Amino acid sequence: MLNDLLFRLRALFRRNAVETELGEELIFHFENEVEKYKRAGMSEDEARRRARMVFGGQEQVKEDCREARGTSFIEATLQDIRYAARQLAGHPTFAVVIILTLALSIGANSAIFSVIDSVLLKSLPYPQPERLVRIFLTNATYPKFALNPFDFRDYRARGKSFDGLAAITRDDLQLSGGSGAPLMLNGFRITSGYFRVLGLRPELGREFDEKAELAGNQQQVILSDRLWRAQFGAAKDIVGRKITLNDQPFTVVGVMPRGTEHPGNEYHSLVYGNDVDVWWPFTFEGNPAQRGSHYIEGFGRLKDGVTAEQAQSEMNAIMAQLGREYPNDAHWHVMVNPLYREVVGSSQRMLWVLLGAVGMVLLIACANAANLLLARASARQRELAVRLALGAQRSRLVRQLLTESLLIALVGGTLGLAMAVGGVKALVSFLPSDFPRAHEIHVSAPVFAFTFLISAATGILFGLIPAIQASRTDPRQGLHEGGRTATGSGRSSRLRNALVVSEVSLACVLLIGAGLMLRSLLNLLHLDPGFKQEHVLTASLSLPEAQYKTSVMTSQFFDELTTKLSSLPGVESAGAGTDLPWTGYDENTSLNVEGKQPAPHEEFHARYHSATPDYFRALGVPLLSGRFFTKADNKDAPTVLIINRVMAEKYWPHENAVGKRVTFEDKPTEKDWNTVVGVVGDVKDKPNSASAEPAFWWASLQVPYRNMSLAVRTASDQQLLVDAVRDEVKGLDPALAVANVQLMDEIVQGSVATPRFAFVLVGMFAGLAILLAAIGTYGVIAYSISQRTAEFGLRMAMGAQRSDVLRLVLMQAAKLVLTGTVLGIGLGLLLARVLKNLIYEVSPADPLTFSAVALMVIAIAVLACYVPARKAMQADPMVALRAE
Amino acid sequence: MTERIDLPQGTLDLLILRTLSLGPQHGWAISERVQQVSSDVLRIQQGSLYPALHRLERRGWIKAKWGTSENNRRAKYYELTRSGRKQLEAETESWRKLTAAVAQILESM
Repeated sequence: MLNDLLFRLRALFRRNAVETELGEELIFHFENEVEKYKRAGMSEDEARRRARMVFGGQEQVKEDCREARGTSFIEATLQDIRYAARQLAGHPTFAVVIILTLALSIGANSAIFSVIDSVLLKSLPYPQPERLVRIFLTNATYPKFALNPFDFRDYRARGKSFDGLAAITRDDLQLSGGSGAPLMLNGFRITSGYFRVLGLRPELGREFDEKAELAGNQQQVILSDRLWRAQFGAAKDIVGRKITLNDQPFTVVGVMPRGTEHPGNEYHSLVYGNDVDVWWPFTFEGNPAQRGSHYIEGFGRLKDGVTAEQAQSEMNAIMAQLGREYPNDAHWHVMVNPLYREVVGSSQRMLWVLLGAVGMVLLIACANAANLLLARASARQRELAVRLALGAQRSRLVRQLLTESLLIALVGGTLGLAMAVGGVKALVSFLPSDFPRAHEIHVSAPVFAFTFLISAATGILFGLIPAIQASRTDPRQGLHEGGRTATGSGRSSRLRNALVVSEVSLACVLLIGAGLMLRSLLNLLHLDPGFKQEHVLTASLSLPEAQYKTSVMTSQFFDELTTKLSSLPGVESAGAGTDLPWTGYDENTSLNVEGKQPAPHEEFHARYHSATPDYFRALGVPLLSGRFFTKADNKDAPTVLIINRVMAEKYWPHENAVGKRVTFEDKPTEKDWNTVVGVVGDVKDKPNSASAEPAFWWASLQVPYRNMSLAVRTASDQQLLVDAVRDEVKGLDPALAVANVQLMDEIVQGSVATPRFAFVLVGMFAGLAILLAAIGTYGVIAYSISQRTAEFGLRMAMGAQRSDVLRLVLMQAAKLVLTGTVLGIGLGLLLARVLKNLIYEVSPADPLTFSAVALMVIAIAVLACYVPARKAMQADPMVALRAE
Repeated sequence: MTERIDLPQGTLDLLILRTLSLGPQHGWAISERVQQVSSDVLRIQQGSLYPALHRLERRGWIKAKWGTSENNRRAKYYELTRSGRKQLEAETESWRKLTAAVAQILESM
């Protein structure tokens, strides 16, 4: 074995010496042979002639020896590569076109694959991430609902499927006394053992123990690495120090290491991987028998060997027990979903569709390359015929041509990889802000491997058929006809036509995909959101509990602020509410409607909010009946509600809801009733939600909240008002941070970011595809015209008109393009179904899109044929005939 | 003229190894020796001889060194290695078995 290797290596690296020795050895043999014949009585000349005859082809023997030495494969490959490089350098236009188109398509594939690899394929950055699950409640109305804290505590105590359970809820804190102005921090309240469940450990200090869950113990905090560095100078002695959050002293108990990933949440959501600044203890407070409020989100680490399904059925058994103990818990089911699915679930389909789309682009590029190679192979027929005549084996020719196409593909792949590195950066900056794991996306080792693999596969795919085709050249004919193909082109032109047809049909499919996505995007953009987004400035405020102890203080603050903001020059109206449209707010309550009974096993539910009088005006939500809140709806007045249309229609169908009453108590007294005073238009959760959820608003003077969002409608440029709004807040309370200053336009744009992203990418791929298909069509028509120059000359000499020739050429092109289009439309009808969940209010078989694409493809293809066709038309019959 | 027989597959290696078991030889001498000993029935074409020598060298059964021939010319001499000797024994043995078996079939039917 070792000997074998050494021998081969010597043969390879001391190639010249080995070759010389071989030559010398063969000459020695030859001379001996000559001597032998001379001894037998032949003359010198005769002996040499005889020896040569016996000897056979020297070169053949040498070649066989090389083969026997076991180096011929490598040597021949090197030779082939050198030859291929020379060939490409000799035809620069051909090389540039083919390499560039491949580079673009391979680059696009690598870029999309980088996203898929980082988002879908790489496991989540927690130890044994496959054991992590999210826990939700579910019923017919609310498919994915937050948990009740006391329910959660019971799951934790009774559940046996988990190594650990933890819950979190978003609760931001305001930092003061750090370096600089007051700062809003992304904060989560967590149960003890939260980090242990995720498999993470604090870098400094420890995580919260069970005692931290007791009421009154919440003034402890764990900092993120980022906050620790930015605000506390990475002080090693931070643990044990007191810092001021929400105007109260909090003890720092730990610091999490850099790269502590937020696992994502639904309720007041921060997307997966986003920055969390602080974690503080979740405390269980209130009456454990009241289980109607749901606002914490469950995480669990499954025991080894337990599946999410098994855990789910155990949890449902527990939930059934709880349902018997607490009426609030009846009719809920528990859903246990793997964390991975929760994180990537929504983007998964889109990413695979994108990969499919770029894959098609690559196929088209392959067909294109194959076509160019086929055309060139006909031009090279003479060269191949000579090599065959000189004794080259056909397999050797195939190998050499394949080396050429592999070289092309690998050069294209390398270039493509460089493009992908740049492309991924652009792609990431362009991703919707709520895209999961976006910050993890980069070109990594698997991407390199993927690029190499698809490049090699591409090279073989587009090279093999032309290579086999070319090696079939009949040496006699190739030589005889001086390189002009008359008969041999039948099969290869059929092949070329098939390639063009498939290019056109794939381009059709991509255009259809892009068209459907465009229509869906336009639908989303033209959707009535239920409010008027123009000229609205928004911001959020969070009043510290320590300072705003009573509800009166809170309601007074927002009353004063909105009044002051309304009087600013250029402001039309200013209001504040617990939330803004499309920001993922989802707080719900059960309620009783006067004079109505829910169906058995059901409860009346609605989403609750609170708003100042001008909130609806500022957002442009229309009043359908009744009135808006006024300053008279205060503590001393009867509690009033404004409800949305869905709620009015759900609970008072065919009735006027204004004046009707609801309560949140099971045994209400007279003062527990809330009267509906107004009905406003619906605002959907997301622009493409099927319908809005039933919702109502309290008057903020009656039911105040410390965390509110401002909405300020202006007459002119709302950007100019940013500072004015900050100043007004500062005037009322200098220690207050103004967070999330955003234009409503931006929120609206953000909500269509994903469909826009998908459309732009698929659109780009479709553009590339149709360009490639046009190049392919052009190439085939131009080639076939060049082959038929003589025929056209003859026809014209016989009296055919130029228009006849043009018609002939266009007919040929039309046949290909029409076949391709018909196939493409058929394929489109089949494939568009995968887009079903990605498009909005467009049928996957949308006739408008399909016919527009068909027309466009035909128009572009005809244009691509026009240039060569015109050339054919202008052919001078005499010149054409002489070209024979 | 004696009738010549084409060498069956695999026997060439055996013949070369057997010839070299008598002592180092250069390529031409090997082919001459085989022809003589087989009374001109077997003749090794040099087109197959040299590739076979290179192959055997690669396998480590023979090794080559340059020496001087009878007529005082530089020539490449091949000689059997230890593993080549073993290989020769093994191949001789299996050849005997094969021919005996073939002969038995030919005679008994």
